[in-house]
Amino acid sequence: MDVRSQVSMVFHLDKCIGCHTCSIACKNIWTDREGTEYMWWNNVETKPGAGYPTRWEDQVNYKGGWEVHNGKLRLKSTGPGRVVFNMFHNPSMPSMEDYYEPWTYRFQDLFNGPEAEDQPTAMPVSMITGEYLDIESGPNWDDDLGGSPVYAENDVNLEGLPAHVRQQMFEIQRLAFFYIPRICNHCLNPACVASCPSGALYKRGEDGIVLVNQKRCRAWRSCISACPYKKVYFNWSTGKSEKCILCYPRVETGQAPACFHSCVGRIRYLGNLLYDAEKIPDVAKLDEYDLVDGFRNLILDPNDPEVEAAALENGIPSSVVESAKESPVYRFVKQWKIALPLHAEFRTLPMLFYVPPLSPVISSSNDQAVRVESDQLFSDVERARIPMEFLSKLFAAGNTGKVRYALRKQYAVRLLRRHLTVGDVPESLAKRALAEADCSVEEADQIYRLTSLANFDQRFIIPPSQREQAIEAMRDPMKHKQESGFGFREAPFRV
Amino acid sequence: MKPVPLYLSPLLFVLFGGVLQAQAPSEDTYELFKLSCVSCHTIGGGALVGPDLKGVEERQDRAWLLAFMENPQGVIDSGDPYALRLLRESKGQVMTQIPNYTKAMGEKLLDLIAFESELEKSQFAGLQISERPLTQEDVDLGKALFEGGERFQNGAPSCLSCHAVHGLTGLGGGQLGPDLTSVYARLEGRKPLASWLSAPPSEVMAPVFQKHPLDGEEVLALVAFLKETAEAGHEEAPANSFPFVLAGLGSTAVAFVILDLLWRNRYRATRKPLVEKSKR
Repeated sequence: MDVRSQVSMVFHLDKCIGCHTCSIACKNIWTDREGTEYMWWNNVETKPGAGYPTRWEDQVNYKGGWEVHNGKLRLKSTGPGRVVFNMFHNPSMPSMEDYYEPWTYRFQDLFNGPEAEDQPTAMPVSMITGEYLDIESGPNWDDDLGGSPVYAENDVNLEGLPAHVRQQMFEIQRLAFFYIPRICNHCLNPACVASCPSGALYKRGEDGIVLVNQKRCRAWRSCISACPYKKVYFNWSTGKSEKCILCYPRVETGQAPACFHSCVGRIRYLGNLLYDAEKIPDVAKLDEYDLVDGFRNLILDPNDPEVEAAALENGIPSSVVESAKESPVYRFVKQWKIALPLHAEFRTLPMLFYVPPLSPVISSSNDQAVRVESDQLFSDVERARIPMEFLSKLFAAGNTGKVRYALRKQYAVRLLRRHLTVGDVPESLAKRALAEADCSVEEADQIYRLTSLANFDQRFIIPPSQREQAIEAMRDPMKHKQESGFGFREAPFRV
Repeated sequence: MKPVPLYLSPLLFVLFGGVLQAQAPSEDTYELFKLSCVSCHTIGGGALVGPDLKGVEERQDRAWLLAFMENPQGVIDSGDPYALRLLRESKGQVMTQIPNYTKAMGEKLLDLIAFESELEKSQFAGLQISERPLTQEDVDLGKALFEGGERFQNGAPSCLSCHAVHGLTGLGGGQLGPDLTSVYARLEGRKPLASWLSAPPSEVMAPVFQKHPLDGEEVLALVAFLKETAEAGHEEAPANSFPFVLAGLGSTAVAFVILDLLWRNRYRATRKPLVEKSKR
């Protein structure tokens, strides 16, 4: 057992209202420099939708992630032999067309424009060329099903769904959608790190945050195509790749990352998980159907004395192990099993988990909120407007059972709360629902509390960073102290 | 014939001391002569580009010769009648100066020429080209040699690499050197052409062909080939690089097509096609 600790995350999609506050918080802190205008380390997508960059999930095009080839795991985009043909031009990359041309407005014209018959307007100008821009797309162009015939209908997850299911989803007046905020997943088996020829990308040992060394990056851009989530971006000004850094300067000082901190719906949870690094190669090779279970098995119970001993032996500080015991992520993912990884079939083992959302039922004929027929206890879940198959393609590599389990449990908790607060659901029904959803009353209470009532300190259990120990492992901490702090920050400008 | 070994020189001196004015020259002088003179001159082998040097001192005195060797162009410019005659005979080719020339060097060379002139047959008599009549086989061999179908014995590059001639197929000949279609007529016949070929004096060819001289039979074959080409009376083609440019463009286009096929599954665009599709 090779126990390691990773800062990981849960996004509770049932609570996301798609307000993009997270995106703006991130943008204001990290990506408002030249060359980063188009980067959205955090973005919010509407599902069904094509996402950002357009159809990022389509790995036939972008060749992101891993595949099992002759019983071995290999990158889809590159490899020791295959790299030769794409050494100087990596073709499997989204172009600016597929992101968008970033723009701003000439706001000064509103104040300085000459007096005329009409109101002055602020013309949109490209942030790259500075010229007038006829805006054709943006990072959330398909927000709230905008431009559905172009975007929503081309959601990659719709492929393979039966025709009538697809048709149902787009029936007018019955349209339903949900939001999915995305940041870098800080994967256990990151394809970007594996693909980098310069060794510029690395996964921090102490907390698993994946970072790009701006000095070592040589603009090969292998990471851009290798990352199946398209969460590494190329800075056209500095000629270096950049990505979400999970606000590590904040995490190191005990603060939640900016997007977590600012989240209006309080959908985000952060805490560390202990996992067994030895099992990663085997788990990443599992059949798609078994991926979610295999992934869960990687995650270790921090309350298990054996795990704790192995963790301490592996150099994980006891404070970090203690923090893992409190981790909300552990509860959602491992205990309650209602949080699932996004696109596990990319085999990067993403450490950001999503609680799949409930959605309105298809039928609107019955105005009763809860049908009481005993054999149709979960009909609302089964008949949700967002089909189970669609959700399972997103969150369970096609294994509908995993999504059904998560949705049923959430629904059962709702029934219980309905019984307790409104009283129109009989206790017997609520209890039966809980039993069928594999959930005790105590567990339901805990889920309810962490979902609805949790305050800041309960949502974010940030492990003490022990940064000095991590530095000590690599070099003399006194030397490090002398060399950092006061002085010039070195901007990686292109000559 | 090998140069006279040094250890024989005292003997020679004793035997011919009264008769021979010159002593046997040193190895260094032989090397110098080979390096600087043989591409244009023979000793007793008849004129090549420059005159035969056998008994040159009987024609001009040593002082004049030394002056000429030091600065050929200067002597010609001074209007010296003998120098002008030489210029005419060499068809306007001015003698090239010996690099790092010193008067002592000139003396030594003249001593060597005097010494070799006395010999019955100098080693610098040049290549003796047979006078036999040229046959059709010679023409065919010459053509093969010219086009590189047949290799030169001593490894010289085939003519085609730098020269064109009428009637070449494919991309034609090289464009570096002049077209050789009527070179036979231009050099006025068999003898001068053969002597040119046996020791090409031009600045570009000399260094190459000194190391890889042509064989007598090869020279003859080339002469035969060039004679026939010249007698057919074709026009010399003007230097024309158009076919090369055309071939370059063509093969580039072919290369692009192949690359396009090899990478036919490459990523092109995602969003644009979706937008186009929705408009239809």
